[in-house]
Amino acid sequence: MADVSELLGDIVDDADAVFLFSPSGSYYDRFADLDSDVELVVVSPENTVGADTFVELPLEFDGVEDRIAFGVEGAMEEGLVDDGDAVVCTTSMFGENTDTATRVRVSESMRSGVYELFAGSRAEPGVIRDVFDVAIELGKKGQKGKPVGALFVVGDAGKVMNKSRPLSYNPFEKSHVHVGDPIVNVMLKEFSRLDGAFVISDAGKIVSAYRYLEPSAEGVDIPKGLGARHMAAGSITRETNATAIVLSESDGMVRAFKGGELVLELDPEEY
Amino acid sequence: MAPLQVDWTVLMRDEFQFVLAVLVLAAGLVAGYVIGRLNKRLLVAAGVPDAVERTPFERTAQSLGTDTVSLVARLSSWFIYGVVVLIALNIAELLNAQLFWSGVLTFIPDLFIAVLVFIVGFVVADKAELVVSERLRSVKLPEVNIIPRTVKYTIVYLAALVALGQVGVDIEALLILLGSYALAIILFSAVAFRDLLQSSAAGVYLLLNQPYGIGDEVRVGEDRGIVQEIDVFVTRIEGDGEEYIIPNRRVFEDGVVRIRD
Repeated sequence: MADVSELLGDIVDDADAVFLFSPSGSYYDRFADLDSDVELVVVSPENTVGADTFVELPLEFDGVEDRIAFGVEGAMEEGLVDDGDAVVCTTSMFGENTDTATRVRVSESMRSGVYELFAGSRAEPGVIRDVFDVAIELGKKGQKGKPVGALFVVGDAGKVMNKSRPLSYNPFEKSHVHVGDPIVNVMLKEFSRLDGAFVISDAGKIVSAYRYLEPSAEGVDIPKGLGARHMAAGSITRETNATAIVLSESDGMVRAFKGGELVLELDPEEY
Repeated sequence: MAPLQVDWTVLMRDEFQFVLAVLVLAAGLVAGYVIGRLNKRLLVAAGVPDAVERTPFERTAQSLGTDTVSLVARLSSWFIYGVVVLIALNIAELLNAQLFWSGVLTFIPDLFIAVLVFIVGFVVADKAELVVSERLRSVKLPEVNIIPRTVKYTIVYLAALVALGQVGVDIEALLILLGSYALAIILFSAVAFRDLLQSSAAGVYLLLNQPYGIGDEVRVGEDRGIVQEIDVFVTRIEGDGEEYIIPNRRVFEDGVVRIRD
């Protein structure tokens, strides 16, 4: 007689690691003392269950595929799993509780740079996430229905300010607004029709708008076909430790640059 | 007909006080009930149920089949019932020991306020404990639990003091205890947080007036570099490969040199 639980047998057989995505406290406790040869990793926005091995999820990914890809990449960066390992992931797809188990084979091709972008940036991960949120929302809705472009330079604000000049009066002069404040999305949306870049500090304070970035573009290698905005983003990140997040006016994509290179490209419509 | 007829004249003249007492009693009961309901409505509209949610007091109340709001509302009803019964008894002149009853009459409002203060104090203490422990949740240190508990018992103690004072218990010794406790806290925090307080006072000035901003090149004492971040407590200045995290207190003591080239 076949048992229904055997359905999962093939999935969990000789796994090298088990990833629990945002487990509840009691769910984690049930598996906390699993076999010692299986690595148990908790992947969630916050380590609420007090797990020993933990990978932070900076964004609440709606797509299960992205969520798992990010978790695996993060674990790879932290040396928890290696190329070729079989990983069993449990996550929630339809509701609040864990309802899905899936098996992933780790491969080097899963390294997309997203994890590095969040965890390895100078700015705080939450700040980068908030800027992404703003860029994605701006990309989805545009400004008054028209597509807009925008350039956010996040982190290392002191250096960025010294490598740029104001195009006009800075509307954020002497203000204390931070990205992620509720009013800010609207403000940024309104200011996005202005030319120039937004400069945001490590802690998320919006230092300036209307900045004309003037780094040298020497040796910056970004894909052909991208415009001046992307070129400016690429060059400023090469000369400083900042991360640049660009919303393209022409194709509506959100791209992130770090160290002069394009590290992430995503379509706002998918979020 | 005649035996059944009520002798109105007798009732209105000789036994009038009884009629009045019954009337007052009836009106008082209705008023008490209405005010109780009204109180409940007001408390619900003021968002009290949300505020007291998850506090131990509310949980205890719920395990007894009631909740904080109905408890307070019922308390106000009972208070009115009690007063009305006393007034009615007085009117009916069933009580002769006037002195004793006037004492009780003044004591009942005090008792009511004392009970109310005690309930409110308990709920506020529970709530404060929850809020503080929530704020401290990110601090992964078991001993930190003592802070929310201290906050809770301090508030309970204060509420108990007010309540006891209201009913006229001698609380002098307790007051002295409170005074020494407050003094200890003030002394402790003055010593422990002196630097932080100085820094935050300086930080408020720096944030409001912004004598220097992010991107300016400055020198504070020996540390020279580009300002990266200013918050209430510290200023981060990045020099060549070195990031100085300078307490704002030092910015004021040493002064800032803005470097213009």
